[in-house]
Amino acid sequence: MNIIEIENLNHRFSNGTLGIKGVNLSIQEGEFIVIGGQNGSGKTTLLKHLNGLLLPDSGTVRVAGFPVSQNLKKARQIVGMVFQDADSQIVGETVYDDVAFGPENLCLDRNEVKRRVSSALNAVGLAALAEQRSYLLSGGEKRRLAIAGVLAMAPKVIVFDEPFSNLDYPGVSQVLQQVLSLYRAGHTILVATHELDKIIAHADRLIIMKDGSVAREGVPERVLNGIEAFGVREPCDCWMGKAVRSWQT
Amino acid sequence: MADLTAFSYRPGNTLLHRMDVRFKILFLVLISLSSLKATPSALLVLTLVLTAVMFDARFPVRRVIKEIRYFIVLLLMVFLARGLTTPGSSLIQLKFLSFTREGVYGGAMVCWRLTVVVMIGLLFVLSTRSSEIKAAVEWFLMPFPFLKGKRVATMMSLVIRFMPLILFQAKETADAQRARGVENRKNPLYRLNKFTMPLIRRVFEKADKLAVAMEARCYTENRTDPGLFSAPRDWIALFAVICLCVIVFKI
Repeated sequence: MNIIEIENLNHRFSNGTLGIKGVNLSIQEGEFIVIGGQNGSGKTTLLKHLNGLLLPDSGTVRVAGFPVSQNLKKARQIVGMVFQDADSQIVGETVYDDVAFGPENLCLDRNEVKRRVSSALNAVGLAALAEQRSYLLSGGEKRRLAIAGVLAMAPKVIVFDEPFSNLDYPGVSQVLQQVLSLYRAGHTILVATHELDKIIAHADRLIIMKDGSVAREGVPERVLNGIEAFGVREPCDCWMGKAVRSWQT
Repeated sequence: MADLTAFSYRPGNTLLHRMDVRFKILFLVLISLSSLKATPSALLVLTLVLTAVMFDARFPVRRVIKEIRYFIVLLLMVFLARGLTTPGSSLIQLKFLSFTREGVYGGAMVCWRLTVVVMIGLLFVLSTRSSEIKAAVEWFLMPFPFLKGKRVATMMSLVIRFMPLILFQAKETADAQRARGVENRKNPLYRLNKFTMPLIRRVFEKADKLAVAMEARCYTENRTDPGLFSAPRDWIALFAVICLCVIVFKI
């Protein structure tokens, strides 16, 4: 079953620049998709249409069967988004407060909020830091906090925008492990990144964007060949003719 | 990232942390108002009580003194202005300038009162989550249907929440400019212009990103707020604060 269906999506920014041009995509429930492309290729703009942060000028985006523009609240509950800049995403003073922000916006009762916060913090391994001030966390912990904030809203699809930017190696490992455990738990995962090395070994499908359009799409092994023409660095293993290895090993 | 500033909520389980935020706001108003008419001995009582509460709340005293250094400069200026402009018996005479006994007394009292108000404000911010402040402001504005309580409360809580980040941003901007030798420029207007414009731009950019992130998490004004519950300790504390204010008025 397709959880996301995008038909002939076009979006133009207020300054007249074309952000998305005629994108058609279908994403199945439980799929792991990596969206690659150089800066300004339209990755983030596309992702922001999935939960109605941007609305199409023409075309439709359907999530779980309904058009996103018809029920923004439901779309944002189903499609959780983890932003590139974790600092800007964190609104709570403590780790607990930040994770509770989403469930509180859904007007859940206090006991349910508590239950969801505790379950989300356990899932990302931050339960011991619940009373810590959120801005004192390390880069990797902040990214995991942002994931917990999204998890507490019980989404089916989780969208990551450049999840590895500004992270050191342990930070990348922590976030990657988190992404993979969410995938194994049955979530549909979309990751927008230009650092394919770190994640591509786990993807079911790779989509390459250029100038707001889908330039290539398919299983990673086929799409990766000659990918540098689209401004994305080919993983090192491909140069040596090997299969791409996971960063988890 | 290091601790941004001492002027932000510090999690804890002290008496002050556990008190109902509505009572804390009431105490803030009562003590601030009573300090306006306080005599030196009354101010001494207030200062001693507040210092005791600060130690109980594990207040980062050294860091706060370091961070309020500009406020101390402001107090010094107020003190000098009062000392030099109040007529009375001269204490020190410097050519045309006369430092009067009445001016020194008046200046010291104004500075002391301002310090007491700042101490109470810091104790409040240090021990109270912004979500609790939001809930309490909404509660206080409930009797005024023409005021959009939820909106006012949200704006207040966001300002309190993001003040440390704005201060951090200001520090980063200042450091970046010092690294490029801004101190060699002696014109304060030039330096102010070069400092404020990028700072304001960065703060607005951050605010924009924050608004999008809040929207993505279904932000609404009608949300589950923290519960406001008063306990016997809050009423006992209210009685104690009223007694303190009466003592301050009577001394």
